[in-house]
Amino acid sequence: MVSQSFIGLGRAQQKALGSPDLPMVLIPHPFGTRSREELKAIAAQCADDIARLLCEAAPAAAEAARIAPAAPRAKLIEAPADLAAFNKLFIDKRWGDGLILAPPTQDAVQRMLRFTDRAPDEVVATIAPGMGAATVEYIAIQGVMAGCHPEYLPVLIAAAEAVATPRFHLQAIQSTTNPSAVWLIVNGPIATWLAVNSGAGCLGPGTWANAALGRALRLILLNIGGALPGEMDKATQGQPAKFAFCCAENVDASPWEPLHVERGFSADANTVTVVGALGTWSMNMTARRGEEVLAMIADTMQYPASSDYMYGGAPFILLSPQHANLFHREGWSKAEVKRRLWEASKIRAGRSRGSEFERMANGRRAELGEIGVDSMVPISVKAEDISIVVAGGPGSHSVFVPVSAHTRSVTREITVTESATGNNF
Amino acid sequence: MSSNLLVYEPVAPCLTQPQQSRHPLDRLAGKTIGFIDNSKPNFNHLVEDLSRVLMEKHGVTAVIKQRKRSASQGLSEAAMDELVAQTDAVITGSGD
Repeated sequence: MVSQSFIGLGRAQQKALGSPDLPMVLIPHPFGTRSREELKAIAAQCADDIARLLCEAAPAAAEAARIAPAAPRAKLIEAPADLAAFNKLFIDKRWGDGLILAPPTQDAVQRMLRFTDRAPDEVVATIAPGMGAATVEYIAIQGVMAGCHPEYLPVLIAAAEAVATPRFHLQAIQSTTNPSAVWLIVNGPIATWLAVNSGAGCLGPGTWANAALGRALRLILLNIGGALPGEMDKATQGQPAKFAFCCAENVDASPWEPLHVERGFSADANTVTVVGALGTWSMNMTARRGEEVLAMIADTMQYPASSDYMYGGAPFILLSPQHANLFHREGWSKAEVKRRLWEASKIRAGRSRGSEFERMANGRRAELGEIGVDSMVPISVKAEDISIVVAGGPGSHSVFVPVSAHTRSVTREITVTESATGNNF
Repeated sequence: MSSNLLVYEPVAPCLTQPQQSRHPLDRLAGKTIGFIDNSKPNFNHLVEDLSRVLMEKHGVTAVIKQRKRSASQGLSEAAMDELVAQTDAVITGSGD
């Protein structure tokens, strides 16, 4: 059963999941706001459709859809050499993100492929919801179109592997009505080699690596994952971070171990972390005491419609160096900051109303038991589920990054070829 | 006259092999139908109403319901296996 506005997603999913003949019954959209009387009328109609479809043989069209999959090598096509005309062609075909693209020529893609030992036709990952084959070559094509330097390719390969990891739950991130963006966090020496900005304005414009890497991942999600806005990407509005969202961690200004070390990688390992981010909320406070800043952050984390609170999430706090060092001077480790935030950000369940209260009660029942209006609900199942990254320049602003429901951030090691290290960057 | 250049088409193919997933039932009467309640607002009520109509009008013998923790989270494999073993067809929902 599919509500009418989701029919495109439903049809695409039938094909992507290998069930082109799966029968679908349409119900009116929006469905969740209907009265009980309206639901009874919908059920009466729907039951007849279900009865018919369950006893009906697969249509001939579905039989015809059972064709052998295409070979995973990219096809060359002719396109206008004129940049404006080339872009018009690609935008008309919905092969881009709406910004000007660089032509993915054979030469440009070949230059990028030199930065990996993997074969061009190797399938690195399958990208939901369209289940497109992210071969090394297709990843390089998106990188060229996004304006990446060739040496960025290993980061994109690792990012494609990371988003396709089951615990990241890309299917939900790509097709939800939430404004889910994918945030890339680069750690290790490669962040310096590629000049990924970890300092002032690291989430804003002006740095080639941050902009091109974030954008290339978006093109992977669009062109390989098939998440075209309004079609398989059902985001009601989306958000600007869906164009590009990438930074490095400011390890030099951080008093603590960086994210990738916390997750078991050596300090000199190169990693990329993907986060299903719902937005960025600036939290500004100048204070001498850590308790004051901590309380301000915990207050910001609490908002009743948050899917973190509905289901037990895994939010991120991007701390400014100023706030991180203030906490450090209080004698707090990163784990201690997480524990204090987890305690201080518990929300009274009654602040969620109607369907949202029901979702919270259903979503947290297995973990917390029956939830009443006065139950205190933590943002995540455990304090350790909160992640802390230090980035940014001088200033008293930290950033709260709520996450999409049920996604868990994933960190993958970036494999850099020997010839690509050091002076080549 | 404008010139052309060769570029790669950027849209990657889906390599999923299509499977036959539709196995038509000979009739609904006497069958057991499963519902996966996706936990979206109102879906539980629709499942309740549908269950009644399917039994009263179409002769379905029994309906078995499984409610997901949230819409974006799949039913556990164990719960899915149990539902498949107990039913002749399974229905779920997508959308808002």
